[in-house]
Amino acid sequence: MSAVARSEQPPLARPNGWWGMAIFVATEATLFGTIIGTYFYLRFNNLHWPPPGVPEPKLTLPLLLTGILVATSVPMQFAASAAAKGRLSAARAALLLAVVVQAGYLGMQLHLFVHDVHEFPPSGSAYSSAYFTMLGGHDLHVGLGILLNLWLLLRTSTGLTTYRMNAIRATTFYWHFINILALCVVGTQISPRA
Amino acid sequence: MATTVTEPALRRIGRLERIWAEPRGVLGWLTTTDHKRIGLLYLFTSLAFFGAGGIEALLMRTQLSEPNAKVLSPETYDQLMTMHGVTMIFLFVIPMTTGAFGNYLVPLMIGARDMAFPRMNALSYWLFLASGLFMYASVFMHSAPNAGWFDYVPLALKEFNPGHNIDFYALGLIFNGIASTATAINLIVTTFKLRAPGMSMNRMPLFCFAILAVSLSLIFALPSLTIDLVFLELQRNLGFHFFDVANGGDPLLWQHLFWLFGHPEVYIIILPAFGIATSIIPTFSKRKMIAFPLVALAELLVAFIGFGVWAHHMFATGLSTITLVFFSAASMMVVIPSTIQVFAWTVTVALGRPEFKAPLLFIGAFITFFVLGGLTGIMFAAIPFDQATTDTYFVVAHFHFIIFGAAVFPILGGFFYWFPKVTGRMYHEGAAVVAFWLTALGTALTFFPMHILGLLGMPRRVYTYPSSLGWGAYNLSETIGAFILTAGLLLIVGNLVWSRFRGVTAPPDPWHGGTLEWATSSPPPPYNFPVIPVVRSAYPNWDREDREADAGRLERGELVLDEGHETSTTTVVDAVPAEVVEMPGESLWPLVVALCTGLLFVMLLTRHYAVAGIFAALTLLAVGAWHLKEPEEL
Amino acid sequence: MRGRGLSIDAEFLQWFGLLGAALTWTVQLVVGFGVTLARCGAANAVLGVDVKAWEISLMAVGIALALLAEAAALTLLWQTRDVDYSDPPPEGRRHFFVVAAVLGNLLFIVIIVLSGTGAIVHEPCMPS
Repeated sequence: MSAVARSEQPPLARPNGWWGMAIFVATEATLFGTIIGTYFYLRFNNLHWPPPGVPEPKLTLPLLLTGILVATSVPMQFAASAAAKGRLSAARAALLLAVVVQAGYLGMQLHLFVHDVHEFPPSGSAYSSAYFTMLGGHDLHVGLGILLNLWLLLRTSTGLTTYRMNAIRATTFYWHFINILALCVVGTQISPRA
Repeated sequence: MATTVTEPALRRIGRLERIWAEPRGVLGWLTTTDHKRIGLLYLFTSLAFFGAGGIEALLMRTQLSEPNAKVLSPETYDQLMTMHGVTMIFLFVIPMTTGAFGNYLVPLMIGARDMAFPRMNALSYWLFLASGLFMYASVFMHSAPNAGWFDYVPLALKEFNPGHNIDFYALGLIFNGIASTATAINLIVTTFKLRAPGMSMNRMPLFCFAILAVSLSLIFALPSLTIDLVFLELQRNLGFHFFDVANGGDPLLWQHLFWLFGHPEVYIIILPAFGIATSIIPTFSKRKMIAFPLVALAELLVAFIGFGVWAHHMFATGLSTITLVFFSAASMMVVIPSTIQVFAWTVTVALGRPEFKAPLLFIGAFITFFVLGGLTGIMFAAIPFDQATTDTYFVVAHFHFIIFGAAVFPILGGFFYWFPKVTGRMYHEGAAVVAFWLTALGTALTFFPMHILGLLGMPRRVYTYPSSLGWGAYNLSETIGAFILTAGLLLIVGNLVWSRFRGVTAPPDPWHGGTLEWATSSPPPPYNFPVIPVVRSAYPNWDREDREADAGRLERGELVLDEGHETSTTTVVDAVPAEVVEMPGESLWPLVVALCTGLLFVMLLTRHYAVAGIFAALTLLAVGAWHLKEPEEL
Repeated sequence: MRGRGLSIDAEFLQWFGLLGAALTWTVQLVVGFGVTLARCGAANAVLGVDVKAWEISLMAVGIALALLAEAAALTLLWQTRDVDYSDPPPEGRRHFFVVAAVLGNLLFIVIIVLSGTGAIVHEPCMPS
């Protein structure tokens, strides 16, 4: 006897893969919570923050870039909904749009990272150590998300299956998390300007 | 199970046998995704590490048996002491309780065919094995970690520890943490989604509540350790500044992050023991657990409050009182859920008709050691007392009573309890009882005198001590105790090995247990249950009508799920049936991914960062290749 | 709370009763602990942390929310008083959760009171 047909599922039954991603996101969120906690722990231990000789963080560019990244939650969510309705081309177009913007964001972030490393290297102070670890960790997660999106584009080039649809849903969840994280990271990054 | 099996039923069972069969021989074991086989792999590997940790302990105890002994140099002693702690915690207890007991039993107890992510399950095991081999490679290179299992800075920084020792520690534990995280994710999603229809959360076995609490704790505690280790490696190898005051850092940062992991870790160690105890007690008392809802939620409550007590490991660091009071308060209250559990256990035995077979004997010793160890634990919640006894043998006594007396004894009891289910044979009861007494008395003799030594002022983490302080007799007794304890453990192993081959055949349900693992054959078939059971209480195997109804369903083909490699999923809280899912079968990719990850870590250790990058890319490619095989559409 | 013509969703009572006090304590611990670090760290010279005000506020809000959670749990416990923990969901499952929540919430209330009191009465930044 075969499955309960998919359209008859109780609406609140999310697939196993979604739950797996949710718990993975929980550990990554804790990871970043610890990094951000460390940033403030060190901040409380230091009278001058940033220390003398280290420039204050920029305000406009980080906020602008974060806004652009967070906006990609919209095409990602659209991709997930479209895939759930079986509209493959619409989903792929949304994924493509999202990944192009996300890659642009990451490129800019890496450029700024390299520039900052030359100006105030991490081996100079606890401030720069915390700063670069936080931003580096965030950029790695963005990079992972981009790889996931590229993988989705590759796999859906031969059609849409339930498995791939669930993968898009899980990846969208991951991206919403990355974007919330980006807000926390940029908030921490610019906090000395407060 | 029905005594007469009809034609249609036989045909369905035949189909299930064919669908769920795995390749034979070594290839079968290398590619297995069967949670029972993976559980056995975890069992034997973690036992091997238990042996290594035990040898490390016996060597230390030999060195400490008399004053000014010259059995071991201080450098060797430091490495043994560190590896003993690391091995016992990360390579024995966690893999044994989550990887062996958790993996083997959770799907059976919830009426599922496998874990939610079978290939990731295999990956967890291979990553665990690789991380253990990685760490033990350090022993063969005479560069084992040597700054204690807690690895405080500044001793762990490059200035004081220039060799590879600490890099083995940091990278090895990050590596090991990935394996444990994967196991935890798997156990949580399995517990949430794969329970049998009708097994709403209020009907979930108490063992599963314990494993759920452990898994959630691992998820939220490991990141703290991982980040601490990342900071350490960045400081050691790339000159970052997290822990040195001169550049704005703080050595206490290491301790905060370590104990943010480290305290939940000790609940991670003890909770599975609670789960095993709450499985054995109802069975051998022949009644349901008293205060079931309180016991179930106490598991989760202890784990939750345990996240808020970490700085009680730092009461002697000079932090201000207004900071420390938070942890003193929570440490006093965290004992209450455990106390409720102890009352529930003892009252259940007292109100039941107890049968003191070996499993229940081990649980009796567990309760005794747990109460004693818990009492000394609560003493530490008082800051003044803690400051007087910190870094003395009083602490060593406390945590060994808990870790050995209270965490290992249920594991041993669990070996005997579930031996018939796993092997299909009965163990030798008489030899088990003798081994129990040897182990219990050996444990008491080894660890009780440590309380006295601690109060007399003997510091911990010392490789020897002078003869004029009167500590020699206690130390000698402890060493003798350690060898008695070892004899007990060897007798246990001997009994189980002998019984595996020569024991009497065991029925499916020798103990009349109430949980679902006893509703299938001993050992279980690869597909666990021919019919997914329907559950209407917290002790489904004691509901005879429901179990007989299962046999009828087998004939009619309801919930047999024999059209593919399938299991059923339900909603999270109320176990309303959702969909039938296709499960992956055997695969070589988990082994390949683990291998690439291992090589990645070796390259990080030897600082070949570019090559490490290549292995990272290969790992990602292997993960991609793994996911090319999708479950078949229904 | 039917008697007053106010009917609160049983699911809400269950989840708030189970998780409300726990999450309240978590916030009181994280923020309260963080505030003491800020007060006793080098940066206090520029931050000027009024640790007593913070801790009193946290404790007051914490106790209030935790008591509300306990009230929710007690309400649902009363509503499910004739139900056995092993009964079918949703009643059985709700009863199961709130039996434990009623006791667990007391623990959290005590921890909030003890830690808040300790943070207020001791001289800031004196080591133990």
